[in-house]
Amino acid sequence: MIHDNLKHDSAHKHVTGKSVYVNDMDVSPLQLAGRVVYSPLAHARIKSVDFADALRVQGVASILSAADIPGANQMGPVIHDEPCLAEAEVNFIGQAVLLIAAETDEIAIEAESLIRIEYEEMEAVLSLREAIDKNLLIAPVRFIISGNADEALFNAPYRLEGELETGAQEHWYLETQSALAVPGEGNEMLVHASSQNPAETQAIVAEVLGISKNEVDVEVRRMGGAFGGKETQANHVAAWAALLANATKRPVKIHLFRDDDQKITGKRHRFLSKYAIGFDKSGKILAYKVELNSDAGSSTDLSRAILERAMFHAENACYIPDISITGKAFRTNLPSNTAFRGFGGPQGMAVIEQAIDKVARFLRKDPAEIRKINFYGIGSENRTPYGKVVENNRLHVMFDRLMASSDYMKRRAETDAFNGLNRFIKKGLAITPVKFGISFTTAFLNQAGALVNIYKDGTVLVNHGGTEMGQGLYTKIHGVASAELGIGPEFIKVTPTNTSKVPNTSATAASSGSDLNGMAVKAAIDTLKSRLVPVACTELQKAGLNRPDPDKIVFIENKVFQAGEPGVKIPFDQLIQSAYLAQVSLSATGFYKTPGIHFDRDAGKGNPFYYYAYGMAVSEVSVDVLTGEYKLLRTDILHDVGDSLNEDIDIGQIEGGFIQGVGWCSTEEIKWDNKGRLLTHSPDTYKIPTVNDIPGDFRVELLKDYPNEGTIRKSKAVGEPPFMLAFSVWLAIKDAISAVGNHEVEPEFSLPATAEVVLMSIEKVKSKE
Amino acid sequence: MLHGKQLITVEHLADGDKLHPVQQAMVDRNGSQCGYCTPGIVMSLFGLYKNHSNPSMDSIEDSLTGNLCRCTGYRPIIDAAGIACQGGEQDKFAASAPGIVSRLIEITKDKTPVGILTSQQKYLKPLTLTDALRFRKDYPEAIVVSGATDIALRQTKKKELLKEIIDLSDVQELKYFREEPDYFQVGSGYPIESLRMASDGKIPALKKMLDIFGSLQIRNLATLGGNIGSASPIGDTLPFLIACNAQVELKSTNVVRRCSIEDFIIGYRSVDLFPDELITTVFIPKPTPGEFIRSYKVSRRKNLDISTVSAGFYLLSENGTTTDIRLVFGGMAAQPIRALKTEKFLRGKPWTDKNVHDAMQILISEFTPLSDARANAGYRNLVARNLLLKFFEESKGQPS
Repeated sequence: MIHDNLKHDSAHKHVTGKSVYVNDMDVSPLQLAGRVVYSPLAHARIKSVDFADALRVQGVASILSAADIPGANQMGPVIHDEPCLAEAEVNFIGQAVLLIAAETDEIAIEAESLIRIEYEEMEAVLSLREAIDKNLLIAPVRFIISGNADEALFNAPYRLEGELETGAQEHWYLETQSALAVPGEGNEMLVHASSQNPAETQAIVAEVLGISKNEVDVEVRRMGGAFGGKETQANHVAAWAALLANATKRPVKIHLFRDDDQKITGKRHRFLSKYAIGFDKSGKILAYKVELNSDAGSSTDLSRAILERAMFHAENACYIPDISITGKAFRTNLPSNTAFRGFGGPQGMAVIEQAIDKVARFLRKDPAEIRKINFYGIGSENRTPYGKVVENNRLHVMFDRLMASSDYMKRRAETDAFNGLNRFIKKGLAITPVKFGISFTTAFLNQAGALVNIYKDGTVLVNHGGTEMGQGLYTKIHGVASAELGIGPEFIKVTPTNTSKVPNTSATAASSGSDLNGMAVKAAIDTLKSRLVPVACTELQKAGLNRPDPDKIVFIENKVFQAGEPGVKIPFDQLIQSAYLAQVSLSATGFYKTPGIHFDRDAGKGNPFYYYAYGMAVSEVSVDVLTGEYKLLRTDILHDVGDSLNEDIDIGQIEGGFIQGVGWCSTEEIKWDNKGRLLTHSPDTYKIPTVNDIPGDFRVELLKDYPNEGTIRKSKAVGEPPFMLAFSVWLAIKDAISAVGNHEVEPEFSLPATAEVVLMSIEKVKSKE
Repeated sequence: MLHGKQLITVEHLADGDKLHPVQQAMVDRNGSQCGYCTPGIVMSLFGLYKNHSNPSMDSIEDSLTGNLCRCTGYRPIIDAAGIACQGGEQDKFAASAPGIVSRLIEITKDKTPVGILTSQQKYLKPLTLTDALRFRKDYPEAIVVSGATDIALRQTKKKELLKEIIDLSDVQELKYFREEPDYFQVGSGYPIESLRMASDGKIPALKKMLDIFGSLQIRNLATLGGNIGSASPIGDTLPFLIACNAQVELKSTNVVRRCSIEDFIIGYRSVDLFPDELITTVFIPKPTPGEFIRSYKVSRRKNLDISTVSAGFYLLSENGTTTDIRLVFGGMAAQPIRALKTEKFLRGKPWTDKNVHDAMQILISEFTPLSDARANAGYRNLVARNLLLKFFEESKGQPS
């Protein structure tokens, strides 16, 4: 009885408007609205702050500055380099300087207009190139090296060099950052957060308030989207709301306005990468040397781990014997960039995928052929640059299946024919692979806890450390619990994530939510079952079964019986009553840690991943040669989730991740002016995909019959990997541009490939013809 | 603005425990993930359900263009729309609709103006043109709105207090489309969506522009008069209207005058309108033999986006020679602007590949557009130039 077709646990509430988000919560008539006053300058010294007039506005309860913080003025999650409120200096536009609590948002806005802060503007570093030129490293330079790339490049028959810019990306979660802090007795603080990491939110709130963690309770029912944007930066609004709640002793809610959210919060790291690739005439890659440079923004946040993941994915699905990967993260005067679906993986992969594309054009071959001959091998040519051996390689089977199911070869011929006949519209086609490492690369984070309570009526409460942001984790966990307990899902409730139910959890991130928490829930249920089996034996004996065998007791369809003896059975709820009367504990915790994960950062070697998730996509586009605009005509995806925990939810992750990736690759361009002001700070200038931007013909398949041993119900993680399938669209656009010059000129290209980038590239191709 | 209307929200749709068909389809097809956009999506689907049976893919996509979802990739929502809107079953609103409609009609029969006057704000809603013109005269500083699709952002996003508002949205005399022998006469309060449908098969260059004008929700509220009156440099209808030499009629309590739209727009969001005047009518000339008219909109995203460059082109030719040409661009200057030098070069010359390519060289340096959040100046100039080539290519094989 595996409930792999459960609908999203909140679907009914979503469609009737009954789901509760933080901004829906009004817990008390005393509740106040919180507002953040932030820096309008990218780099400046604060000369004076005067909010006396603002404090006099009727309805203003409190205005706080850094001096009013009772604990540590710090909210950096890993490295403590991020003040909660600016003290003497501001380092980016959007940095919090003051906090206001008022009866309403309108009053807070009025108060803000009366605040006078004098700044002395300082020189700001706003471009990644400038940060690189000035060597403004924010963390030590990192290396992963295998073989001797310089020598192999020198000896390779052919060698190409290049540079690739990949742009930032705004998360554009529909629900902006929000938190509601409710003060309790003494030091107690309850925070309703929209956070992927309640345990860290708890820690930061405790630290800024100068109290211990056991005084702070953080609860997360659901987020209205997160995508990494609420892994660390949700801590900020929570800390600000808690400071105001502590100062006023009243509940305070902060819900950022959309434009403020876009201006204040960090984004996907933009990268500027430089590479050299060596290959032979068949297209076999012999050597690759790449330098990945990321824009960390003004503080470290998760930039180290993100850069590391970019490095781990620098070769994507390619076996390259001699390879050198250098990673550098730089400080600029922009909001601190942060986690975003893929966590650096996309930025690392983009470079190799378009380099392969370039190799193919150089050799006048189809890029699909070059990709295929360079895939990691099975049995040999399977060691990654960091020393892990690629096992259970699905690349070859997926490539063969997708090439056939998408009719790639026939459509390649049709595309060429179309392009020969049409001057103003060109078509492009591309297939790209994804091989994505699953686990937190910071080994100790690979742990999870769960709490399972069975009540006297036989109903079950399941709680775990993972958070629900729409990805369906609660639903998957619900299905796991139902299957493991052998009772119907209607008897089980998965309850809001809460730091006092399950402590010390890791962020719901790295696609690991169901892998880790599913196993922890299973562990708790296994404990409960081990306590229930003796009770079951007693009860079955009473019911007439002769000498029940504890090793053969099974829990199926709300019944408990001995395998092979289904005639004598006890209803699950009756067993629970008996267990209670027999004084058996019906509450258990579960714990899981992923085995075997380790990585030596200095050596650049180790086993940072439990396994890889694979995916592959073929996309076809048409490009208007006169305007640079394009249309996504068709996409075929084949994706590997092992044995799916819930096919509908997995397909939802694949489609949604892919379209979000298409946005990053195409229309989602972030621009700042020469003062560091964000120009694209609202939906009228920042363009995520609409319903019209999805492929006209969209075919998504799961790779069936390839179970993943050693994970919860043999499944695989699915949150991030599909994002990178969007490279098929990006490189199909490049293929179409290339067709303008009859594939004889290498187009200039970057990411996102906006209509502007495409038209400028087409004009250059035309001028070189 | 809700006067005379029934307000239905997402909480209202289910019939007791029974979900509305659009809600049920969203559950069945996994149309929600984080759920935050879902109420809006459900209401758009409800609109689709009430207005279409077995909608085409175009109708489904059009009904959802105004709703952003960041989780699903939209595919399951499109599926849900197809399943929910197959027709057949009546929803709970069907039975009560006639009664409610007749009560609403009853309300709208009373033409007494509606006003909400507080110490901080005056909201005036005339229901006749006479009252509208009177209010306009008495409150010359008032902001005039109909759908308020543009102005409302000043309140919702900039938190401005709009002190005086005149709302024309229920002045029925301004909501019409009439075909006359030489022109189409359109009331300034005619909604963009109604105009889009009315222009189908009649004014193709306008229809093409309106197909990608905002989203259905915006088009239902926005009006032609509003798009002209706001005089945005990137107003979607303006290049076309100027290119085909459309006119506006302006009225005050005692004067009526006519003005070409080209002359009406005098600067960045600035029009030649006296404080007591209202735009009442738009006259769009009908195409005559020898004329070729096209409109173009280039934006970062095809739908629900503001144009980077837009254009309305008018060509009158006789025996292959250009008798008259008007090339009007949006996004290239502070207001919609004609490429006068390029037009002058082409006028009187054969409409040939060679002359058009020579004209493109003039066109690329005729304007000095801005570099901004949407695009750089260089791209705008290239697009403007290339659109002329596109126009030329599309004019081939057309009767002249």
